[in-house]
Amino acid sequence: MTNSFAVAVAVARKDLIAEWRTRELVPALAQFVILALVIANFGFQIDSRNAPSIAPGVLWLALVFAGLVAFGRAFAAEREQASLEALMMTPASPVAIFAGKALAATLLLIGCEAVLLPALALFFGTPLSVQVVAAVLLATIGMAALGCLFAAMVARVRARELLLPLLTLPLWIPFIVAGGQAVQVAMGATGNYDQAMALLVDFDILFVVLTSLAARFVLDE
Amino acid sequence: MNRYEKAAAGGVALMLAAAAAIFLFAPTDALQGPVQRIFYLHVSAAIAAYGCFAVVLVGGAIYLRNGSLVADRFARAGALVGLVFTTVTLVMGMLWAKPIWGTYWTWDARLTSTLVLWIIYAGYLMVRRLAEPGRQAARFAAVVGIFGFIDVPVVHFSVTWWRTVHPGPIIVNDALPPEMLATFFFTMACTLVLAAVMIGIRYRIETLTDGAEQTVTELARVVGARDAEPVN
Repeated sequence: MTNSFAVAVAVARKDLIAEWRTRELVPALAQFVILALVIANFGFQIDSRNAPSIAPGVLWLALVFAGLVAFGRAFAAEREQASLEALMMTPASPVAIFAGKALAATLLLIGCEAVLLPALALFFGTPLSVQVVAAVLLATIGMAALGCLFAAMVARVRARELLLPLLTLPLWIPFIVAGGQAVQVAMGATGNYDQAMALLVDFDILFVVLTSLAARFVLDE
Repeated sequence: MNRYEKAAAGGVALMLAAAAAIFLFAPTDALQGPVQRIFYLHVSAAIAAYGCFAVVLVGGAIYLRNGSLVADRFARAGALVGLVFTTVTLVMGMLWAKPIWGTYWTWDARLTSTLVLWIIYAGYLMVRRLAEPGRQAARFAAVVGIFGFIDVPVVHFSVTWWRTVHPGPIIVNDALPPEMLATFFFTMACTLVLAAVMIGIRYRIETLTDGAEQTVTELARVVGARDAEPVN
């Protein structure tokens, strides 16, 4: 058990160091989400009255597509160097390796959220409250588990750019439904925030358990 | 006529009988008028679709356990047939919703989860097309099939929490007159038989496809081995 944990941390550390040295993904994602906000501004004609009702939607759209890019890239380097096969040949358990990759991708996506949320508050005038951040972080956990599972799966399939959004987006919908509700309430809409957050926790537990069960079948190939 | 053609003819005949029951035997709804007749096929097709996706789930799970090709072929067949029935459910539902709700579409729990169901199994078939044929495609598709089956009730549940306008389950509530109930159960039985026949035929097609692919691989191997031999 401790061994698997050490493997996961080591794999995550490796990915984070690689990102720190190249500084490719997070800056690109940060630019991407800022651009999404700019496009939303022109698409919606945002003013101070409609901003609180539009901002949650823009937040989730930007986050979902940034997430697809982040998780798609999680296995890109391994594929290009054919190093995933080498990783799998080590005695480390596939689930631990998968957990490490998922952990690193999650942290990178959180790095991108650290740009998205303040930018949203700045451009849309919405509150950057603990409630908003907590909802987004809770949704990120489950989305990352699912996103990484399918990213690992499509990494060795042709047309992976087509397949990843096709498989991942429908499975992310529960997180968008509950997270969207939580963020809407946190930004001033009426509704039950605690209920939405409880639902997010339930979904996190459900999908983290399911993905860890399925990871073995996906990575063993 | 081989047994597949016979089964197909039987399935079509049963559906025609169901149509006769729907249009000639069942009384016209006092409130909704003739539009209500959509209900019989709409609900039956939805149940058949769930049945097909249960086949995908079980087939995928068995495949992951022991690599059974039979289970995988059933899963493939179930996904395609289930997608057809989901399409029927969605289209019939929209035709019903326009006169009754005044709109083809609303983001109700059942509509949303059915649409997600459709998208997931369309994705399932895409995985099958795009992944390396054989073990890889089967394994990945099995995982998608299992996640898809679990995701649908989750989506349904999460949307229900906030809003729903879809009519509740009227059959279990005993709200239907006996003629309507009889028509519904007859249509459902016919639709389920049709679904089973379609899965059977599709299973046969998948078996033949697998066989053909294997022959091609074998041939390529033999031809490759012959070409590799040094020519004197």
